Amino acid sequence: MIPYRQLAGWAVFGGVMCLLPLVLPPGILRMVIFANFLAIFALSWDFISGRTGYVSFGHPFLIAIGAYSTAILSFRFDWPLIISIPSAVLITVISGLFFFVPALRIRGTYFALVTLAFMELAYQLTQVLRPDITGGTRGISGITSIVSGAVPNFYLSFSILFVAALLLWFLARTRMGTALAAVRMDEGAVTASGLSTIRLKLFAFGVSALVAGIGGAFYVHYLGSIAPRAMFDINFLFQILVAALIGGSTTIAGPIIGAFFLTFLLEYLRPFIDGPERFLIFGSVALIVYVLKPNGIYSILESGYGLALARFRRFRPEGGPAK
Amino acid sequence: MKLLTIAKRGVGVAAFAGATALAMPVGPALAADPVVIGYIGSLSSDTGLSAYRGAQIAVDELNAGGGILGGREIKLVAADTQEDVTEGIKAYEYLNEVENADFILSGSIDDVSLGWLPRMAEFRTPTLDTWTSYIGIIEMVVADYEKYKMYFMNVGNDLALGTVYIDFGRDVLARQMGWKTVVMLQEDTAFAGAVGGFVGEELNAQAGIEVVETIVYDTQTVDFAPIYNKAAALKPDFLFLISSVNSQVPSSQYVKLQVPVPMTGINVAAIGLDFWNDTGGAGGGQSTFSPLPAIGMDFDPVSQAFVDTYIARYGDDRPIFPHFNGFNAYFGLKNAVAAAERAGGFEPLDDWVREMENTDVVLEKDGQLWHRYAYWKPGEIEPRTGLEFTHNIKFDMEAPYDDGIPPMVIIQWYHDGSPRVVYPPKYANGEFQVPPWIK
Repeated sequence: MIPYRQLAGWAVFGGVMCLLPLVLPPGILRMVIFANFLAIFALSWDFISGRTGYVSFGHPFLIAIGAYSTAILSFRFDWPLIISIPSAVLITVISGLFFFVPALRIRGTYFALVTLAFMELAYQLTQVLRPDITGGTRGISGITSIVSGAVPNFYLSFSILFVAALLLWFLARTRMGTALAAVRMDEGAVTASGLSTIRLKLFAFGVSALVAGIGGAFYVHYLGSIAPRAMFDINFLFQILVAALIGGSTTIAGPIIGAFFLTFLLEYLRPFIDGPERFLIFGSVALIVYVLKPNGIYSILESGYGLALARFRRFRPEGGPAK
Repeated sequence: MKLLTIAKRGVGVAAFAGATALAMPVGPALAADPVVIGYIGSLSSDTGLSAYRGAQIAVDELNAGGGILGGREIKLVAADTQEDVTEGIKAYEYLNEVENADFILSGSIDDVSLGWLPRMAEFRTPTLDTWTSYIGIIEMVVADYEKYKMYFMNVGNDLALGTVYIDFGRDVLARQMGWKTVVMLQEDTAFAGAVGGFVGEELNAQAGIEVVETIVYDTQTVDFAPIYNKAAALKPDFLFLISSVNSQVPSSQYVKLQVPVPMTGINVAAIGLDFWNDTGGAGGGQSTFSPLPAIGMDFDPVSQAFVDTYIARYGDDRPIFPHFNGFNAYFGLKNAVAAAERAGGFEPLDDWVREMENTDVVLEKDGQLWHRYAYWKPGEIEPRTGLEFTHNIKFDMEAPYDDGIPPMVIIQWYHDGSPRVVYPPKYANGEFQVPPWIK
């Protein structure tokens, strides 16, 4: 059965977002672009960690593989972007297998720590292994942009977010998505029911790496520069995790909401608090929201909507139109 | 009927995204009134704060003098980078597209500057850097002048710094002290690796000093006794420390352990006057290079006036004395404004760039050139290296330094807690010393 209502929701979401450049100045659009990319990364993380329960602390590793691959191929070897970006995505998907291998044997805290080690290892390697290619600690600056200006970059980044979110939403609705949720709840039961958890996890890790690779590749061409401290930074990891968790894990809307909330909260504070204190406030707000509503902002919006709907019904005569 | 549909969720997500974006306080709608100068850099590091405070003092003086460009007030807007690359890009975008900055002064470190450089090229905003010395940025200006011509660097680049350091090795370490062997102690960073390799090779080639061994230590090291013991056992004439992270730790332990081998090198913490307190008074004997103007240096009257203002205003707050980039921010901002006055504004860009390239402010002390704020022009060749350094501060790499400042001086902390300049002789107000426990 075709989910018309849901598809209508996607159409409204896309339509409203496409109108933003008409009402927002370029400075705000720039922030939306960062929020779009953070949402892509959070969705990608949530697909592997939120849905399967394999919490990854090394997600920036995958994003950085995509970003560094296209940066190096295009900047150092003059590959056209039409080839360097797909190549980078392919390399990222293959690299996702590095995550998959430990997932065959371990999970929980141990898996999280192993993935964190991947990120740290890549951070060190980027600096010392062929710095003439990676740019070492200082990275690479002057990477080719795909488009220039706030509005074109907004549409580009939103298109990627929209397609990625739609893809993940579709996958989550399939039997495969249901099976992945079952892996999170009881992996042993899934195995006992005759399903191959190895294949399920391979699929989830592949999809997550695919989205991370696409996001990372386009992100670096938006930034125009890349440095190990930007890509393998623990703060970058935290932002991805917090965006997914504070927005609402295991949903599609949640990570998007979380990404926008985090990005704009920090930027709201900038004109009022120009020093590092704004990061303290940012962390405190995130903590309070998460403690009070562990299911994230999405659940707050959902319950708020439910409450409004209940009041609406109370004032409406049975079966009649609203007054 | 289930009304809470995905359709409504779609509206909710879009509404949330739109609402957060619309609620953002937008900068001045009428940008015509004040001249907006943006500061981009860390507001929590000593060097970042030095540059910001230097800019604040310059802005206050200019505003007190009746404003600029026909009496317009300057509004200084700071955008903190946290020394984070991505935050730096966001900060540069914020200054340009929310605050509509006319000019940007930077107190950014290497990779942060490299991060926002593509935004600078896109926005075409006049920008002056006061902290990074990365030669790669100057090479970008040389290679693609049209794209990067709005960029100026107010500190001598790495290559120039390193070249003068080798002169110090030849003149002082080899000739004056008679040292022939060295053990390199370098932190495990790419910066130290690159500098260590260059210094080791050049000390050998130009000063005849042989590197006996290179000991690489982790930046988180807290106990340096085994490292110093190992180095001392090799019996070198001196140690060469390269430390940019937690430099207070190897410095204070060197004094407390009374390591029986003299030590010099590159010690980033030692370029600030707070170093003495940070080491608990155990920083004596440490020497390091510092771009000019440096702590411990005798200042020309104009620079001294800036120092006095800084101390009167910020002397109780860390950093208690401006780092070199505090001077560079103060004079750099004033020079950029003066160029704008001559050009009729920061726009058109080409006019401002031309006038900035014509900047030539000479500060004299006792009738001789003591400091000079001028910039290498496109196509101009530096005679010693035979290279172009377009838009880098004009430096002079040969004594008697009458065409510009040397890219750096060597300072040394004496055991009474006073820093002195020990090289080059023109700026020296002290002799290079070995610690008193070394016979």
